Amino acid sequence: MREIIVGVSGINAVDNPGPGIGVARALLDDKDLNVKIVGLAYDGMEPGIYLDWLIDRSYIMPYPSGGYDAFIKRLEYIKASFGLDFIIPNLDSELPLYAKYSEKIEKLGIGVFVPTLKQFHLRAKNRLAEVAEKIGIKIPQTEVVTSHDELVEAVEKIGLPVMVKGALYKAYRAHTTQQAIEYYNKIVAEWGYPIVVQQVVSGEEMNVVGVGDGEGNSLGMLGIRKLWITSLGKIWTGVSIRNQKMLNAASSFIHTYNWKGAFELECISNNGDVYLIEINPRFPAWSYFAAGVGLNLPSNMLRKAFGLPISQNMDYKVGKLYVRYTYEVITDLQPFQEIMTKGEW
Amino acid sequence: MNRSQQLAISENGFIFDPTTGESFTTNQTGLAILNRLKKNESSMEIALKMREEFEVSLEELERDVADFIDHLRTYGLM
Repeated sequence: MREIIVGVSGINAVDNPGPGIGVARALLDDKDLNVKIVGLAYDGMEPGIYLDWLIDRSYIMPYPSGGYDAFIKRLEYIKASFGLDFIIPNLDSELPLYAKYSEKIEKLGIGVFVPTLKQFHLRAKNRLAEVAEKIGIKIPQTEVVTSHDELVEAVEKIGLPVMVKGALYKAYRAHTTQQAIEYYNKIVAEWGYPIVVQQVVSGEEMNVVGVGDGEGNSLGMLGIRKLWITSLGKIWTGVSIRNQKMLNAASSFIHTYNWKGAFELECISNNGDVYLIEINPRFPAWSYFAAGVGLNLPSNMLRKAFGLPISQNMDYKVGKLYVRYTYEVITDLQPFQEIMTKGEW
Repeated sequence: MNRSQQLAISENGFIFDPTTGESFTTNQTGLAILNRLKKNESSMEIALKMREEFEVSLEELERDVADFIDHLRTYGLM
């Protein structure tokens, strides 16, 4: 099989881990593929740069906020200097750029398998109610507000405590109206309007990772229940589950929106009801779990993109444990020197 | 649906709910009751059968089985 060079971002395997290392591992686990991994980093200290058994070459990328031209120039350079056939972007901040310019990127001979910009906007929390209704899942009582008066009204209607969330980023739990106003101001200052006020639903946190083929079909999905999270709320231990309500909602999400690419639905289960809390339009940091239980989602995505045969087995083992651990790499200073001075290693 | 039907129950009393990912532990007596509940046996049938294994009055067994079922309800397993 011909070699496929895959660019993977989110190789910041730190306390708030990016998904890239798990995605790279999954691709390399598929021994029928001939894959080389290019790490697309935004900082010379991203650990993935130094994991040479996973990543063949790393490049520092310009920030997506710097615009299309600089980003595309960098991709062209990587393509010319090392080779780049496909990219799996794994960071929220990159997705709009890849979604918007996917056709132009593909014209460079670099494949991507990402949602359209229209699909990407479905993740906005002020659209969660609409999505939830269409895919047959509940959401906590939610009000979208754009002023202090509306905020106070929403807090009174929902009852304290409430979650105060930005449309795309940030979420805080407010126990008093005053706190809600503080968080409202904080999010508006940083991310703008609208603000979402949401009922706090207690229960078990469970998520599903999946990949849609863009034609309404699933390329696989896996459910996880979080057993242990870090102080940053990142999953450290989990167990594979088969919650049919959640999986049905994920299937419906793929089918209803012809979702293309990876996604994660964050849910809470309470007394048999499943509530949708958030949609992430990319692989989550724990997505290697799927490959570990026999459902290699990054490989299925790559295979679909390249017209290669995909395993028909979409089943996985329930009751498998996912355990993260920390590890150290001791290496020479040279990779650090090179990446800091030349932007590549 | 009765959740106890879908529980994965190991011989050492570890109980795993594949729908929610919750896990529980129980002793050998609880295990015996759970396995019978999974077979759709009533609490009276369970008490009667357990009387053959334990030297306890039927009344006491009925009470213990009912208590255990209450525990299962508390955890949402019934």
